[in-house]
Amino acid sequence: MRPATGARILLVDDEPAIVRAVRANLGSRGFRVDVAESGREALERVELHPDLILLDLGLPDLDGLDLIRALHSRARAPIIVLSARGAERDKVRALDLGADDYLTKPFGVEELLARIRVALRHTLRSVTDEPVFRTRGLTVDIEHRRVTVDGEELHLTPTEYALLTALVRHADRVVTDAMLLQEVWGPEYGDEDHYLHVYVARLRKKLERDPQKPRYIATEPGIGYRLLTEEA
Amino acid sequence: MLGPMGRLAPLRGYVAALAAVTLVTLAIGAIETRTHVANISMLYLMAVLGAATLLGRGPAITASFTSFLAFNWFFVEPIHTLSVGDPKEWFALVLFLVTAVITSQLAADLRDRAREAVDRARDATLMFEIARVLGEPDLKTALAAVAERLRSGLRVAGVVIELEDNGSPHRTIAGDAAALDRAEIGSLAGWIPSPRSATGPGARWIRVVDPRGASTSPRDERVHAVPLRSGARRIGTLAIIRASSRVDAANDRILTAVATQLAGAIERSRLRQDATDAEILRRTDELKSALLGAVSHDLRTPLASIVASAGSLRQTDVQWTAAERESFLADIENEARRLSRIVSNLLDLSRMESGTLHPERSWYDLAALIDDVVGRLRPLTHDHPVDVRVPEDLPPISLDYVEIDQVLSNLLENAARHTRSGTTIVISAAIDGSDVVVEVSDDGPGVPKDALDRVFEPFFRGPSGGTPRGTGLGLAVARGLVEAHGGHISVRNRAEGGAAFRFTLPLEQPSRTRIVATPL
Repeated sequence: MRPATGARILLVDDEPAIVRAVRANLGSRGFRVDVAESGREALERVELHPDLILLDLGLPDLDGLDLIRALHSRARAPIIVLSARGAERDKVRALDLGADDYLTKPFGVEELLARIRVALRHTLRSVTDEPVFRTRGLTVDIEHRRVTVDGEELHLTPTEYALLTALVRHADRVVTDAMLLQEVWGPEYGDEDHYLHVYVARLRKKLERDPQKPRYIATEPGIGYRLLTEEA
Repeated sequence: MLGPMGRLAPLRGYVAALAAVTLVTLAIGAIETRTHVANISMLYLMAVLGAATLLGRGPAITASFTSFLAFNWFFVEPIHTLSVGDPKEWFALVLFLVTAVITSQLAADLRDRAREAVDRARDATLMFEIARVLGEPDLKTALAAVAERLRSGLRVAGVVIELEDNGSPHRTIAGDAAALDRAEIGSLAGWIPSPRSATGPGARWIRVVDPRGASTSPRDERVHAVPLRSGARRIGTLAIIRASSRVDAANDRILTAVATQLAGAIERSRLRQDATDAEILRRTDELKSALLGAVSHDLRTPLASIVASAGSLRQTDVQWTAAERESFLADIENEARRLSRIVSNLLDLSRMESGTLHPERSWYDLAALIDDVVGRLRPLTHDHPVDVRVPEDLPPISLDYVEIDQVLSNLLENAARHTRSGTTIVISAAIDGSDVVVEVSDDGPGVPKDALDRVFEPFFRGPSGGTPRGTGLGLAVARGLVEAHGGHISVRNRAEGGAAFRFTLPLEQPSRTRIVATPL
C-alpha cells in the first residue's frame, strides 16, 4: 500500500538503529522522513509542517511530556509516541496531553505502518460526522440510536451506548480511561472511574461473539481501549 | 517544689512566717487583756508548725526564733525588754524555743518526705509511661512520644532529643521549639563535657544567651542537657528547656534515668536496623549472584542464536534457499522477542526488590481479563485447549490490570511449556471467603516434590520437557505481583495428576454504592 500523499513524517529518536530501520521502511513506502535526534532539533524541524510525528519519549535533552506540549502547540500533526514497556504511566500522560497513539518498543514494522495509516486517516477526516458508522458487521446508527451486530439489534443501556459512541469517535485510535470518562460522564465524573472497566466489560459481552478473540473492542493493558475497524 | 507553695520565691516564705508570728502575737495580746492563760506561748507553736509544713525548714526556724523574741518582748515581765525577771520564766522560754525548733525540724522532715513520695510516684509514673512509649517499634515515633511525655511530666517549656547519626544530628523536639530557635542553639553536643573530662553525672546547666548578645533574655530560659551514652560512646543528647532558672534535683535524677532508658532503646533500634539491613543485603546479594548466572547463560543463549543467524545471512559464499533465509530471520525475531521478555521480567523483579512496585488499582471484570489474556496468548498455547471457568456472578475485583495480566500470562505460559501438546489447561476463578481464587491447572507431569517450595524463586528451573525454555523468572515475578496486591500464590500437585497454580486476591467490596443510582 503506497500512500498517494507522500506524507511527511518527522521521526524524533536518538537511536541510530531505530532511525535507520524506520527511515528505510517508511521511505520505501513513499513517505518522506525527516529525522530529529533531540528535542531541540524536533522543535526546529516541526516548522517544516510534518503530517505526522513519531516521538520517542526518552530523549536525552528534553522531557518527553514537555516536548509533546510544545510540539502540540506548534503543529497540528498527530503524534505517535514510542516508548519502552513498563512506562504505562508516561504513555497515558502523553495520550492525555494530546498524543494520538503509542507504540511500545520493540515494535514490528506492520504495527508501525498500521498506526501511521490510522493517524493519517484521522487528519484527513477529523471527526466521524457520518450518521452511520459501519465496520465488519457492526453498525452504529447515531441518528436512530441503533446498534446492530451482523444485522442483529443490540439493546444497550445509555452508559454502554455512550461508551460505544465515544470509542467510535476515536475508531482505531487508543482511548485512555480518562478520555472515556470525560466523554461519557463529562468533566465532573466522580466514582464512575471505579466502574469504567466493568461497564466496558459488559458492553463487550454484548458486542463480541468470542470474548477471547474480540473483533471490535481491544484492551490496551494499563492504557485504555481501542475500537478496531480492521481484523486484528 | 512543684506545688503552689514551691513556686513562691524563698524570701516570700520567710515573710509569710513572720506574718504568722505577728498574727499569733496579736491574738495572744487580745487574750491577755481579758484573762491570763497559763503557757499561752504554746500558741506560737501553731505558727511554727504551719510554717514547717507549708513553707519549709528555714521559715519554720525563723518563726521559732521570732516567736521566742516576740513573746519575750511583749508578754514576759519586764515587758518591752528582752531581759527576763523571773528565772522560772526564763526556763519556760528556753524550753519553748527548744520545742519550737524540734517541732519545726520534725514537721519539715515530714513535709520533705511527703513531697519526696509524691515526686517519686510522679517519677515512677513518668518512667513507666516512657518505658511504654519506647516500646513503639518506630524509633522516630517513640522519640517524639517520649519528648512529649517528658515535657508534660516535668512541666518544662521544651524537650529536645538529639541523635548523632554519622555526624548529622537528628533532632526530636517537643514543646517550645520557638525558645530553642530564639536561643539559636547549635549542636547540643558541644555543651556537654566529653566522657573523658566528665565529672559527676555529666550534666550541666547552660545559660542561654539572647541572640542579640544581651546577657539575659527576659524569660531567663535555661537548658539542661544530659548525654545519651551507649557504653563509652556518646550517641546523642537529651535536653530540657525551662522557663524558670531554678535548678531542680528531682528533674536531674529523672533526666538521667530517662537518658539511660533512651540510650538503651536507641541502641536496640539501631541493632534491629542493622540486622534488617544485613538481611536485605544478603538477599540482594543472593539475587545478584542469581542474576549474574542468568545474564551469563539466559541472555547469552538467545544472543548466540541471533548472532549466528544474522552472520549466516551475511555469508556471501553460500546460496541460501528462500526457506532457509526465512528460518534464519524467524530465529532472529523469535530470539530477540525472548530476550525482550527476559529483560522485562528482570525489570519487574528489580522493581519488586527495590520496593517501588505499587499496584494502580481499579475495579475490573476478572472474566474479561482472563479472556483477554487467553486470547492474546493463543500463539503460545495453540497446542493446548484452554478451558475458562468463571462464574457469571463474580463481582468486580480491585486490581492493577497490567500486573494481574502479567501474573496470569506467566502462569498460563508456564503451564503450556511444561505439558505435552494436546492436554487441556483449565483456568478457573471462584470466591473463597474474603478472596477470589484464580487457579491455572494442567494435565502435565506436575511439580517434583522437592521443587514445590522453590518454584517461585528467581531463576529456579524445573525439569524442562524439551519445550521452548522460559526465562526462569515468570513464577518469581508472578509471586511478587500477587503479593503486592495483598494476595498469596501457591502450587500443589493435583490428585488426578498435573500441577495447579493458584493465587488469591482480596475481595474488597466497593465501599461506595453510587453505582446503584447510575442508570446502566
